[in-house]
Amino acid sequence: MIEFKDVNFSVDNKIILENIDLTITTNEFVAIIGPNGAGKSTLIKILLNLIPNYTGQVFIEGKLNSEWLKTERIGYLPQKEEYDTKFPATVMDIALMGIAANKGVFARFNKQDKLKAMETLDKVGIKQFNNAQIGSLSGGEWQRLMLARALLTGSRYLILDEPEASIDKSGVNSFFDLLSELHKQGKTIITISHDLHMLNKYCTFLVCLNKTLHCHTETEMLTADHIKNTFGEALKLIEKDY
Amino acid sequence: MLSYAFLIHALLGALLSGISLAILSPFVTLKKIAYMGEALSHIAFAGIALALLLSLNLSLVTMLFVLAVAGLIGFVSRFFQTEETNVITIFLSVAMALGIILISAKKDYSFDLASYLFGNVLLINKTDIYSLIVLSVVNISFITLLFKELFYMTYNMTVAEVFGIRVKTVYYLFLFLLAINIVVAVKIAGVILVTAQLVLPASIAFQYVRKLKPAIIISILVALVASLIGFYISWQFNLPTGAVIVLVEFMLYLLSLIINKRSKVRN
Repeated sequence: MIEFKDVNFSVDNKIILENIDLTITTNEFVAIIGPNGAGKSTLIKILLNLIPNYTGQVFIEGKLNSEWLKTERIGYLPQKEEYDTKFPATVMDIALMGIAANKGVFARFNKQDKLKAMETLDKVGIKQFNNAQIGSLSGGEWQRLMLARALLTGSRYLILDEPEASIDKSGVNSFFDLLSELHKQGKTIITISHDLHMLNKYCTFLVCLNKTLHCHTETEMLTADHIKNTFGEALKLIEKDY
Repeated sequence: MLSYAFLIHALLGALLSGISLAILSPFVTLKKIAYMGEALSHIAFAGIALALLLSLNLSLVTMLFVLAVAGLIGFVSRFFQTEETNVITIFLSVAMALGIILISAKKDYSFDLASYLFGNVLLINKTDIYSLIVLSVVNISFITLLFKELFYMTYNMTVAEVFGIRVKTVYYLFLFLLAINIVVAVKIAGVILVTAQLVLPASIAFQYVRKLKPAIIISILVALVASLIGFYISWQFNLPTGAVIVLVEFMLYLLSLIINKRSKVRN
């Protein structure tokens, strides 16, 4: 279970998040929606303890997030990962990053680790690229690699920041199919997305955010008013056109 | 016999210094922190000037001075929340200015300023050779034991931290080791040329390979070959060794660019 209790965050007196009280129960497939600048990525970064100067508290499984993250991992897919396309890393190298912390300092990756990574790359459908340089991957292949890395942490939680960005329509469908499969296998998934059609099809719980929480409800309970209240006039800007 | 011993010291010094910098070179290049090497070497210059002014142990004072200033840079950028690269550049210039003032303050100075700016292999003594051997062993052990952490540190530190990899501590250890390497190498390569020896070997290696481990080996080989050729040329034509080694490495770099370009055209 993940709990946000009265979380507030501002930058230079500009309010980014205000009075966020939110509880996400285990094994939900949660979608966070909202217009650009609504604070969606910030909310996730606060959960991951990547932003220090917020007020309020965040709990993961009853422990403060900072304490919980000292011993446990969250499988995270960042919106955009900064990397040099010429960086000398293969798909396997980046996938193994998910296992690295569990290996401890000084320990090297062994055959079993690589086998486990191969199985996961197979699961996300990019096993054949295991020796490819990361710079040669397409957008969809890259997102699948990010998912493989997140899965390899062995975490019960998967957090995705706009995973559909830079994937074509068929790629998005199969990516969300894969997430749905993982959800059925017991993962708690939290995803930020602009793709309302996709979220309606797969997600079980919806969080409408625009600095403050406008709604947090079961997806089938979502009404047009909820959407309108969250996005206001900006709604037409966030509908994805394939 | 004496000149032969000098020659052997100078050759060993050039080789070992080149190797120790080349081991770190791929990480410095990938992490894009060559400016750190430049800053540390310039700060070392002020440390050398301070040691000469106070007539204290040169290596020890320079090392302590570099570490103190590096700590100060970290403190200033964090405490005043200013851009770290700007603070480093400011401290680089201030260190050079301080070094020049300190040297001018030592009225009876009897040392060759150019030796420290451009390096002088003839300054190398037995202690330096032992230090360089220990340093090379420490460098190799460091990258062998912490390869996984160093690899992900150079890839993306923030993401590595999210995945629980202890890259921050490793990064500071790496900078500490880099500072020690630079302080030792300044005597041989000089303040101005040490950065070139830190960047060129890996820049050449990455023209041929796209994997980190082979790149480290090629970097070391490049440093070995360049040091041997550079040393021979400088000895034959009585030229400054550090500068000739850098020029040899530069020629190898140009060659690697041409070879890489040609192989891309063929493919």
